[in-house]
Amino acid sequence: MSDTLFTNVRILDGTGANPYTGSVLVSGNRIRQVGRSTAAISPAGATVIDGAGATLMPGMCEAHTHFSWNDAATLSAIQTMPLEEHVLWCAKVAKRYLEAGWTSCVGAACAKPRLDVVIRNAIASGQIPGPRYLAASQEITVLGGLGDETLPHLPFPEFSFGVNVSGAEEMRKAVRLFLKYGVDSIKLNLSGDNFTPQSPADTTWMTDAEVGAAMEEVRLRGKRGTAHARSAASVKQALRHGIDVIYHASFTDTETLDMLEAAKDRVFVAPGIAILYAMLHEAEPWGITQAKATEMGYQIEWDAALESLQKMHKRGIRILPGGDYGFAFTPHCNNARDLEFFVKYLGFTTMEAIRCATLYGGQIMMKPNELGLVKDGYLADLLLVDGDPLANLAILRDPKRLLAVMKDGVFAKTPEIASQRAWGRAA
Amino acid sequence: MSDVQFTNVRIFDGGGETPFSGDVLVQGNRISRVVKTGYGQRSVPVQGAQVIDGAGAFLMPGMVEAHTHFSWNDQPSLDAIQRMPPEEHILWCAEVARRYLDMGWTSCVGAAAAKPRLDVVTRNAINDGTIVGPRYLAASQEITVPGGLGDTTQPHLPQPEFAFGAVVSGPHEMRRCVRMFAKYGVDTVKINLSGESITGMPSEMSQFTEEEIRVCVEESKAWGKRVAAHARSTWSVKQCVKLGIEVIYHASFCDEEALDLLEAHKLEHFVAPGLAWLIRTVNNASEYGLTPEVTQRMGYHRELEAAVESMRALRKRGVRILPGGDYGFAWTPHGTNARDLEYFVKHVGMSTMEALLSATAWGGPMMKMGKQIGYIREGCLADILLIDGDPLADITVLQDKARILAVMKDGEFHRAPPVRNARTTRWAA
Repeated sequence: MSDTLFTNVRILDGTGANPYTGSVLVSGNRIRQVGRSTAAISPAGATVIDGAGATLMPGMCEAHTHFSWNDAATLSAIQTMPLEEHVLWCAKVAKRYLEAGWTSCVGAACAKPRLDVVIRNAIASGQIPGPRYLAASQEITVLGGLGDETLPHLPFPEFSFGVNVSGAEEMRKAVRLFLKYGVDSIKLNLSGDNFTPQSPADTTWMTDAEVGAAMEEVRLRGKRGTAHARSAASVKQALRHGIDVIYHASFTDTETLDMLEAAKDRVFVAPGIAILYAMLHEAEPWGITQAKATEMGYQIEWDAALESLQKMHKRGIRILPGGDYGFAFTPHCNNARDLEFFVKYLGFTTMEAIRCATLYGGQIMMKPNELGLVKDGYLADLLLVDGDPLANLAILRDPKRLLAVMKDGVFAKTPEIASQRAWGRAA
Repeated sequence: MSDVQFTNVRIFDGGGETPFSGDVLVQGNRISRVVKTGYGQRSVPVQGAQVIDGAGAFLMPGMVEAHTHFSWNDQPSLDAIQRMPPEEHILWCAEVARRYLDMGWTSCVGAAAAKPRLDVVTRNAINDGTIVGPRYLAASQEITVPGGLGDTTQPHLPQPEFAFGAVVSGPHEMRRCVRMFAKYGVDTVKINLSGESITGMPSEMSQFTEEEIRVCVEESKAWGKRVAAHARSTWSVKQCVKLGIEVIYHASFCDEEALDLLEAHKLEHFVAPGLAWLIRTVNNASEYGLTPEVTQRMGYHRELEAAVESMRALRKRGVRILPGGDYGFAWTPHGTNARDLEYFVKHVGMSTMEALLSATAWGGPMMKMGKQIGYIREGCLADILLIDGDPLADITVLQDKARILAVMKDGEFHRAPPVRNARTTRWAA
């Protein structure tokens, strides 16, 4: 691995500070030196990338990733993909995330028991390209809850999207199985979801005994609990049981917000609001008109979620991008749209939105002091962006504007040579 | 996909003639022009084509591996291959498929997979662009009998998931098994007709009844599938000819009658002996406990002698012998497959030209693609290798990745030739 020197770049370091012109030397897999001057650091044998004024920023972190969602319109269409194809799908998606600038992803559940673990291991061993990854379990749910896709005449677990448990002991066993497989986090579906009309978003499904048993096992093995929690009761339940990553948190009351604020140094909220927006406005080709989505409860949830998240933001609770990309109406790799939603609907500044994907990203990846910033000694996960994301966040969604992606000191997307020659010579 | 013109290359066109200097133009996924150029003659420029100056490099058709096991995972035993979980196994197959293409094998004929759908899924993923790999014909698992080669179940663990092959007994089970693989979408049904000395049933024994084999062939043909047989024993080779099994793997023990039968039907069969397995098991497997004493006792030394003799005889009789076979074990790792060509020259008595033709000209029909691949000729599919050196002078250059300068499959570079004088400074924005 040769050293790389980025010169003449506008450094957006991820801390929230204003960008400055400078140069960055990457040595091995780490940022060795950040120069705050137009005079470049001495290259000393490094490959020099003249950024020509492009923005250099930390690689982004997706806080709620489902590699195994296959851009289908239903849970059962995701679940019925055969195992072998599903693994190759995940590998393909992992590569696309990395090339789209997501150098870290937090797995938020997979569609078959070992998909996330296997993909994480294959990335870590260098077998396939992909972001840094924390592997999740399947969604653990209760009979009739979100993720139970079995039909009355086909009660076989293989037909189920999530793992169905009933009672604390079944929960414990399911959690132990996933821990045996090597997951980094256990995903619990505490609330329902308007996507599954029999278990809507404002309903709460698990008993405290079940959640308690799960979290006891999670703590015992030093892992992390994550929760699908749209209802106020489910958010509170997650907080009571020490679950660190709360997905959605659409419905909150004052008590919920107070509890979130009290736990703000340990809790991450990834709302995944893209799916709410998409269901209301962009799902008609799949038969979900706005009227239908409203009837399913999405308008009520959207309004509630905006209010909840605006309040959380004011209280300083960490809100992160990502969530439920991988459906037909929220295809993979549009994820940077979340940052635009944060600005447009939640009152974030563009700088705050960037910080959610960088500074907070390092924190949710459990590497708070070495990932997520352009800073001396940090891991070299870097993006070279043509343009200023602070002026226009949408460029982060445009592959053409993403000039280079570096993960761990190695280019996943190499910057193009400006005057590429039209011919090659061999031998 | 831009057009590519190779200039200043020595062209081996797959027809068996001495290579000539010339230019090759690739447009889309096909070879559109092959021109001979005399000494000092300049090539005709083509508007818009990327020009690759080969500087005298050897340009030849992409090679065809006739007996490929992507799912063998470079382990020392069938059991160790079989125990890999399916998720890891499919990623392994994807990785290996790319490795074959890296090494110049632009087509591979699957000869059995270690789990039911691995080959089919890998083929489909290559075809739809999900992964990178050679043109591929997907095989079934090995169909075998209880106790035969590929039955790795143990008495106390009889579950089919523990078996390397698909274990059947009787024509009824055979038919059901073939139908299952046909349903999964295989191109080839693989049947283990003979034993294999390392597994307990010796290579000279034959394990199926004729009726079971007949049902296998009949059912496969009903589905339009090809049958390929693991056939080391004399009886099994004869069964292949008698029942119309097109692809014969190994054919170690051929008696005079078997040779006559094969010669009489030589355009109906392909023989891929997989000599590497025998040669390297005898000579290179000591660190895995297979010392020469052990392999001698197993019978591999005798089988190697018999196989070499059979291949020499088959070669003289004009039977098509193809490279490939049983790479993917610890002592025959994937990617070293071009050793087969060296073995053909060293042991079977082929000229280097014949060895090259066995990997090219005979590869087309082996892939069921006739003369569309295997030649550098106008209208053929652009599967092209650029080699630093002359395989006709030294067949071993094909074993060296660094000497394989470029690999093109279907008109696209999988490995583009290195550009000389690459600059160290890159410019962005």
